[in-house]
Amino acid sequence: MSDATLLVLASTLSTGLILGAIFALVAAGVTIVYGCVWLPNASNGQFFLLAALAAWSLVGVGWSSAAAIIGVLVLGIALSLLIEWVLVRRLYDVPDRNVAYFVVTLGLTQIMSGIFAMSWGLWSDQFTLPPLVDGITMIGPFPMTNNRITVLAIALVVLAVLFGALRYHPYGRALRAVFQNREAAALRGVNVRAIYRLSFLLGSSIIFLGGMLFALAYSFDLTVAWTMSVTAFAIMIVGGPGSVLGALVVGMVFGFTQAVVSIFASPTAATFSYLIAMLAMLLFRPSGLFTR
Amino acid sequence: MQHDIETNPAAAPWASVLHAGTAAVALGLCAGLFASGAQAQAGTPIKIGFNTELTGPWTFFGNSCVAGLKMASEEINKAGGVLGRPLEFVIVDNQTSPTQAVAASRNLDVNDKVVALSGPTNSDTALAIYGYAEQQKLPYLVPVAAFPQLTKPGTRYTFRIEPDAAGWGYSLARFIEERKPGARIAMMYSDAALMRAVVAGFKYQAPRSKLNIVADILFPQGSSDATVQAAQVRAANPDYVILMGAGAFDNVLNNQLLDLGVKPEQMIHPFAMTTMIFGWGQRSAGSIYGTFFDHGLDGLTREGKDFIARFDAANNRPPSYVENYCYNTPYIFREALQLAGSADREKLRDAFTRLKTREITSGIPIVFDKNGARKEYIYFMQIVSVDGKRTYKSKQIHYAEWDADDIPVYELVK
Repeated sequence: MSDATLLVLASTLSTGLILGAIFALVAAGVTIVYGCVWLPNASNGQFFLLAALAAWSLVGVGWSSAAAIIGVLVLGIALSLLIEWVLVRRLYDVPDRNVAYFVVTLGLTQIMSGIFAMSWGLWSDQFTLPPLVDGITMIGPFPMTNNRITVLAIALVVLAVLFGALRYHPYGRALRAVFQNREAAALRGVNVRAIYRLSFLLGSSIIFLGGMLFALAYSFDLTVAWTMSVTAFAIMIVGGPGSVLGALVVGMVFGFTQAVVSIFASPTAATFSYLIAMLAMLLFRPSGLFTR
Repeated sequence: MQHDIETNPAAAPWASVLHAGTAAVALGLCAGLFASGAQAQAGTPIKIGFNTELTGPWTFFGNSCVAGLKMASEEINKAGGVLGRPLEFVIVDNQTSPTQAVAASRNLDVNDKVVALSGPTNSDTALAIYGYAEQQKLPYLVPVAAFPQLTKPGTRYTFRIEPDAAGWGYSLARFIEERKPGARIAMMYSDAALMRAVVAGFKYQAPRSKLNIVADILFPQGSSDATVQAAQVRAANPDYVILMGAGAFDNVLNNQLLDLGVKPEQMIHPFAMTTMIFGWGQRSAGSIYGTFFDHGLDGLTREGKDFIARFDAANNRPPSYVENYCYNTPYIFREALQLAGSADREKLRDAFTRLKTREITSGIPIVFDKNGARKEYIYFMQIVSVDGKRTYKSKQIHYAEWDADDIPVYELVK
């Protein structure tokens, strides 16, 4: 196999892994909140963007990328608590609350979009975070930046920890119990409202982290919120609402689909290829691949 | 439930902040009106509708444009205005939406009774306003929009300051031909009207300049990764890579090519703004970009240097061609209104057709042809160094001029 072919193959693998891991992470955040609270958060793309922009601002005032990520995660938890307290918890007991949540978070999306346009939108048209780690590693003829390897590693570790915690930690098991049947979980002594709060915090924090990892791997602008929001919802629908395993598997499949279709068809076909998968899934298995 | 949210004491701090913010904005507006009133000349203002992108995807461009516009309009009014009257730009937000741009144009026309329209920094909104202006016979000076059809044959009321994008591609091919005859070229670009027009001009001229296109990769808008395509380009071993990404994707293309070992000297950006160069960073030193104004130009006028210094002081970055065109816009209106002798729409339109002036900042001639297009020109610059997010150094390596009808622009781009 020639070096040129190897270069293209390795780059396809790299793109599939990084995009897939970030997609999976964000979709996991979205699916935890939706599966548990039944909250289709239309503003998840704005949360993703907010974290990336906030980290960019902290770097702009002299913080390192690592410090900015930690700082934004702390601020993100505080913001999630505030939103949960002000908006989300008021709808916990409303019938058909998913519709109410969707409308409320659509409003939040509009407000956040306006704030972004009137602040960061005035300062630049493109944003990026400095690398966490410098240098490159040669994978055959393909030079992969250590920064992207680090981003990939962080995303995979967080996904693994998340998967393990949901499966084995008592809080994780309680969370999954609420996913499946909140009345039965309550009868078994699970504090359902506390679990709602926990899942909103956890899901939002994962989306915040996804935004910052994306900003480390790629440059971004204000339009990324919409792209990521659609992608995360698509992954959740195909994987099955509430299924972190579904988010992981389908996120990776979407990432690789984009990479492979972009090389064998075109980058244009790649952007909608996974949406066709989503439509097919809605037709033939509307509950998603990994729903029990 | 909405009622609960509105009346909830928890929401009160937010409401206070919102009220305080609204009050501050209102006070600011009042202060602005008071300040502009204090320096107004005798007579009613000559109103020009400035329909631009203050929100939406083009927010940065619209606001950058307005920053340049305000500097020049203040200078003009301090110097006595035009025809003994103040020049007032009624700035409205079209939200980067063609529909909204038409609605805003109608409002400016009917309610504000503006003598002319101007303002867009985006070809889509500019085209929407074009339709309105031509239909309503309203003079329309486009500061920043390069889509060729804005000055298609038969255009009467629209005049464009920025050279058309197909011409950029044409001149780029000729530039490369001079630097390396028979060069192998790779192209990576987003699927946007502007980029397609640049590529159309380049592909028209490339065979005539005996350039060999070895890769031609189009990305849809919203793309975030180009690693695979960058590897394909690297494998094709081009002499030059022409890259144009929409928004932040431009920086992604740049970085992924550099990551794969493409040298900065091989990379050509058909156009650049200051923030784009900041995004490319120091590792891009040596790469080439096209532009229509830059603080590194050889032929800046005294006014141009002064504009750069004051814009830099106010905005913490040097201006690029967007801000420059918007800075020149009030001066072009002043010249045309003086030539027209009145603020009559038809007379102003005729004055634009007869106008022979220069960009105040660079001395480049401004003469509109029968379709409202300008004599085309472009600079090619090379990045010397990039100092973080504050400034950069560049050197002028090429300047070209040509007539808009040197290439079949309106056939190349429909």
